[in-house]
Order: sequence, then C-alpha cells, then structure tokens
Amino acid sequence: MSRALQKYLDHVMLYANRKEQDAAKIRVELEDHLRQKMADLQARGLPGEDAVFQAIEDHGTARTVGYGLRKGFALLDVRTQGTARGFIAIGPRAVGIIAFGNVAVGLFAFGNFAFGALAFGFFAIAGLLSLGGISLAPLGAAVGLTAVGRGAYGMIACGGLAVGLKVPWAIDGVSFLSGENGLQFLQHFRTREGTVALIALTSWLFLIFPIMNGVMCSIKENEYKRIKKIDPKLIE
Amino acid sequence: MTRLSKQTLDGNVETLILAVLKAGPSYGYAIVKELNERAEGILQLGEGTIYPVLYRLEEKKLIAARWRLAENGRQRKYYRLISKGHKALAANRRQWQMLSAAMGKVLGSAENLLPKPQVKGATI
Repeated sequence: MSRALQKYLDHVMLYANRKEQDAAKIRVELEDHLRQKMADLQARGLPGEDAVFQAIEDHGTARTVGYGLRKGFALLDVRTQGTARGFIAIGPRAVGIIAFGNVAVGLFAFGNFAFGALAFGFFAIAGLLSLGGISLAPLGAAVGLTAVGRGAYGMIACGGLAVGLKVPWAIDGVSFLSGENGLQFLQHFRTREGTVALIALTSWLFLIFPIMNGVMCSIKENEYKRIKKIDPKLIE
Repeated sequence: MTRLSKQTLDGNVETLILAVLKAGPSYGYAIVKELNERAEGILQLGEGTIYPVLYRLEEKKLIAARWRLAENGRQRKYYRLISKGHKALAANRRQWQMLSAAMGKVLGSAENLLPKPQVKGATI
C-alpha cells in the first residue's frame, strides 16, 4: 500500500528538485496529507488500495505538483512541461535571463518564438538584436531572412529581405526605404574593409545560435537522464 | 456541476487560503478540506497544488508556519495568518467586492440586452 505512495512522493520530489533539507520537510508534509486523505477515504468505506490511488489522484500528477514546488526563480530551471523560470530557464516555455524554449522570453532568448533584449529563433523579436527567420527589432538590429527594424540595415539581410525605417543599403538583398535616410555611422560599411567586417560580424552572429543551442540541448538532455534514472516511464 | 476554470482560479487561491486561515491556525490537508467545504465543490483544487501557494505566502510573510506533533504522532506543519496577511486579505476582499459589483452590473445589463423569446401568434 505505502509503496505506491512512496513512489508517487519520489516522483514529486524528483520534479521538485529541491535541496535535500527542504525536500525532506516538504516530503513529510505531503506524506502526512496523503495519509490523512487515505484515512478519510477508508473511513468512508473505500478499500485500502483504492484509497491510496484515490488520494494520489486527488493530489494531482507528480509532475504538476513537483514543478509547482520548485523555487520561484532558480539559478537553473529545466522542465519537460510548463514554464521554466530561472536565471537560465529551459523548457517548453521559458522565462529567464537566458531563456531557451519553444517560446522563450529573456534578456537572451533562444527559441522558435523568442522575445528579449537579444533574441534568436525562427521568429525573433528583440529590443537590441534579433536573429532569426523572421526577425523584428523595432529599436535595434534585426538579422534574418526577413528582418524588420530600425537597424535592419541591408548589411544583415544578406540574401534576404531587409525592411527598416532607415535602410542605407543591402548586400545581395532587397531593401525598401533605402538611400537618402541612411544613418551616418553606417557609411563606412560602404568600403571594402567595412563589408568584410560586416560579413565577419554577421557570420559570428549566425554561429552563436548553434553553439547556444548545443549547450542548452545538452542541459536539457541531462535533465531527461536524471528523470529517466529514477523512472524511465516518466519520460515516455 | 460546472467547475471554475484554472484561469479564473489562478491568483485567487492565495486569497482563499488567507480567508481560511483567518479562522485560526491550520495545516495543508485541513485547509484543502475547509476550502472544498466552503466552496461546496465548485473549486475542486488539485490538493497538491495548495502547497506551492502556502510556501509562497510564507515567503511573502503573509503567513507563518510551525512544526508541531500531531495526534497521529507525526510531525505536522501548521500555518497561521500574521498581520501583513490580515492586511492583504482585507485589501483583496475589497478588490473582490468591487470586481464582483462591476461584473454584476455589466453582465446583468448585458443579459437584459438579449432578445426575448417570442411566442408565435401571441398578442401583447
């Protein structure tokens, strides 16, 4: 009877990922709750084993309860479900200083949909720099196949499409509103050296994404391994 | 029975817990039971989801907690409302009263705008 209960609590604490001392106290509290619930259910005539499963069911899935028990804003928060919040946040949805997820919001945001000061993704919106398939940076520089922004200067729209408020020129790209309104500081990019520097900068930017992607995927993979080690069924 | 959606409930569980604790110190399971009884089954909270809220309230110093030995011989964590919590509860209650009054007025008047069913052949 208590094996199912202990297994459930193991899973909850696995997802909660709290420090040992905190975890022990939380576990005692949850166990007390579940035992009281079981006793109540049995008093109402439910057989012992049914009472255990009913108590667990009413308590909520281990993942939901466990994730709920995580610290508000951890140094590193990796989740397989829901919204990760932390200095480094990795999950289906992520909010953090460095955020990595399908939807990522952060100072540095990486994801299919990324929003931040610096955003990298298929669809990226950023204050300072966005790099992505569709890239928007109303106040900063946008790099991408389609780049829209104050700084979506043609330089960064190599082979793509650059649309900006002020687009001085484009390399192999199509630019709208180009010409007379070009910013003075970009004028030196018209030289050969400037162009080389520009291409180097652009290449560097395009390198960041796969590197960061690799690092984040490896952290995510470690989290999956940690969960699998306790119970492989949890990942399936 | 229609249950409240998660969105409606989110953010209000804190107030509900504070309201339960106003009656006196209590512990997790008893709080859940009390909530369900008072709400007459409308809330149907996942019982485990109450603990993150309790810990958050404790961090915000709206409630205080203390471990005590329970009648079953196990250690049990009791929570009680403290002065900041009393103030927060009063403020939240006022907010709710205002919102509830506003919703009642708007939804009530919207209801009045719905076309009234007409009976064929009826004369007024």
